[in-house]
Amino acid sequence: MSPVDRSTVEPVVITGIGAVTPLGCTFAEIAENLLAGRSGVQAIDAGEYAREPVQFAAPVTHIPTPLPDACGLSADEFERLGRLERLCLAPAASALVDAGIDRSRGPRIGLVLGLGAEHLKTWELDFLSGGSTVFGDGRDRTVVHRLARRLGLRGPAVTVAAACASSGYAMAMGRTWIDAGWVDACVVGGCDILSPTSIAAFYNLRALSRRSDDPAKASRPFDGDRDGFVMGEGGAFFVLERQCDAASRGVTVRGELAGVGMSSDGAHMVIPSSDPVHASRAIAAALADAAVSPDEIDYVNAHAAGTPVGDVAEAGAIRMALGDATDGIPVSSTKSMSGHMISGAAAFEALACLAAIDRQAAPPTVNLDRPDPQCRLDHVPHVFRPRRIRVTASNSFGFGGSNLCLVLRAA
Amino acid sequence: MTQLPFRHRREIPDCGIRTHAIVEAPLSAVAMLRDAPLPAGGPALPPRFLRHCDEQTVVAVRAVLNAIACLPEPLPLDRCGVVGAPCQAGRIATARSLAQLRVGGAVTVSPHIVPQCSLHSLAGAVSVALGMHGPHLGIGGGPDALAEGLFTALTLFHGGAAEHCDAVWLLASEWDTEPELDSSGEAINDPVCRAIAMLLVPESGAAHDRLTLTLHVPGTQSEAAERTSLADFCRALDMCAAGSALTAWGISCPWGVEVRLAARPPAARITSPRLREAA
Repeated sequence: MSPVDRSTVEPVVITGIGAVTPLGCTFAEIAENLLAGRSGVQAIDAGEYAREPVQFAAPVTHIPTPLPDACGLSADEFERLGRLERLCLAPAASALVDAGIDRSRGPRIGLVLGLGAEHLKTWELDFLSGGSTVFGDGRDRTVVHRLARRLGLRGPAVTVAAACASSGYAMAMGRTWIDAGWVDACVVGGCDILSPTSIAAFYNLRALSRRSDDPAKASRPFDGDRDGFVMGEGGAFFVLERQCDAASRGVTVRGELAGVGMSSDGAHMVIPSSDPVHASRAIAAALADAAVSPDEIDYVNAHAAGTPVGDVAEAGAIRMALGDATDGIPVSSTKSMSGHMISGAAAFEALACLAAIDRQAAPPTVNLDRPDPQCRLDHVPHVFRPRRIRVTASNSFGFGGSNLCLVLRAA
Repeated sequence: MTQLPFRHRREIPDCGIRTHAIVEAPLSAVAMLRDAPLPAGGPALPPRFLRHCDEQTVVAVRAVLNAIACLPEPLPLDRCGVVGAPCQAGRIATARSLAQLRVGGAVTVSPHIVPQCSLHSLAGAVSVALGMHGPHLGIGGGPDALAEGLFTALTLFHGGAAEHCDAVWLLASEWDTEPELDSSGEAINDPVCRAIAMLLVPESGAAHDRLTLTLHVPGTQSEAAERTSLADFCRALDMCAAGSALTAWGISCPWGVEVRLAARPPAARITSPRLREAA
């Protein structure tokens, strides 16, 4: 199969942004916190099923209630929804409002939700609140269909899962639908939720940081003293549409989803391949799709979660894909502040790239006191770096060896 | 916004089905299937690879292996992508895990539960087991998974997602009835797990493939679509492949479009492999 020749198709741009994250719920607030190097990590109360007496994570502390017009629910009705559905619905509704899109065209607006473990989380949270759905024999429709109905979207609606790259794949899928003419616009993104089982499973897998002193210091991507990631929750949603449609509507364009690259390691269900060739192929493919060369990239938002193996593998992939240009491209991991939002991570980090473009500065990697010599990159430790930023790349890698790179370009 | 037509989407097949296989296994037989001998002449799996996999993944991997065994000539698997569309996968393992959590706390939670019981797990397992380097993704996860998986697989033929891919494996799986579980998460019935594996190739390279898939968009979009069960789809696929009177079958997506399975007229057909295995 051949990739789409993007010089022959209308650019797909972002006209709406919505987010619910540990670093805030508006684009401006998140951008400010990212550039200020503020951490959303804190000690959480994991209750009776805590894995350790002191547990760090980056929770969402407030889910804003969408206006009734935005989601068809009163404030009381919204509060009665499950937490996972509220975490998805609030930012998706916010993105649609931000885009000012006419939802009477429901059949022509799609929805792609990046969500990797919906049933696992739904069954667990039901069980922990006294329910027994997991033991029953029911088959309920997935949350994406409830979201679509509440948002008044009657176009294609699908849940996409690629582990920690899920919401990035959702963005890629939405762009494909627009390219193919199946929809005029698409709400894309993803979200995730903290739960005792997911924290315990990642902890027992030895993927989580075991630090218990200072929560803001626990997430340490690329640092020589990193010992695993810190879980986060929340995510981000975007409205994608053709550039010409955005221009005819006269709306603000936040950026272009200019390139997508995907690949698989085909190596291990959990551990990223030590051979960087396949991850680097996803990065190179995204650059080729966007028709940009490595030296045109102004900032890379790394996947780098803070695991000993993963950060080294990614540094190798970046260097292989970007070649000699690597040493002049600032690279940072915003997971050092937001924690790892799992299914929501890729969309949040795409938002971080838009923030870098908007503020003309590369966000920092906080806690990068002693860069690991095996992760030799042009890091942005502790404080943001002002510079001209027009083209950015955002990496996302996940369990099962899933590799994704998105190129986002200034409008 | 302009009301764009669904341009040239109605008559031209999106892809051919190069090979397919259907596997049905009762829950009581899945344990044996984890260690069952592999089809002769096919690829090997990493040792004990299926040990921690969800039941739907075990059955779907077997379907892929059977489908590969039926290929008329070897296919370079490393250039394949995977779309996995299970329905409520991971429920038995999750129920057991939650029952143990209640008794023994967080220390009892298996580190395999997330990598093996999430929506991406089926596609990831096939990608890893057979060393595929095209993109792999999980789709749906609920009762509409078949339609959503078909729709998504076809989208891969229209975007950069399929770069470096020669073909896409589409896998769908579900229980005929959901397992009934006791309070410890043990099944008290013996439902049948069904999985289908189809190797989809772009139409440009599928002139000799008997079966095709086409995304059909009606002139006016319908509101509600009747759901097609995986069992019905498998029966239709078998009948179309066997050259019966049934030559076409539609799978409705919840948003009103239809994926059409069709058998080419006899003159255009070549013999296509088909294997159905009941464990």
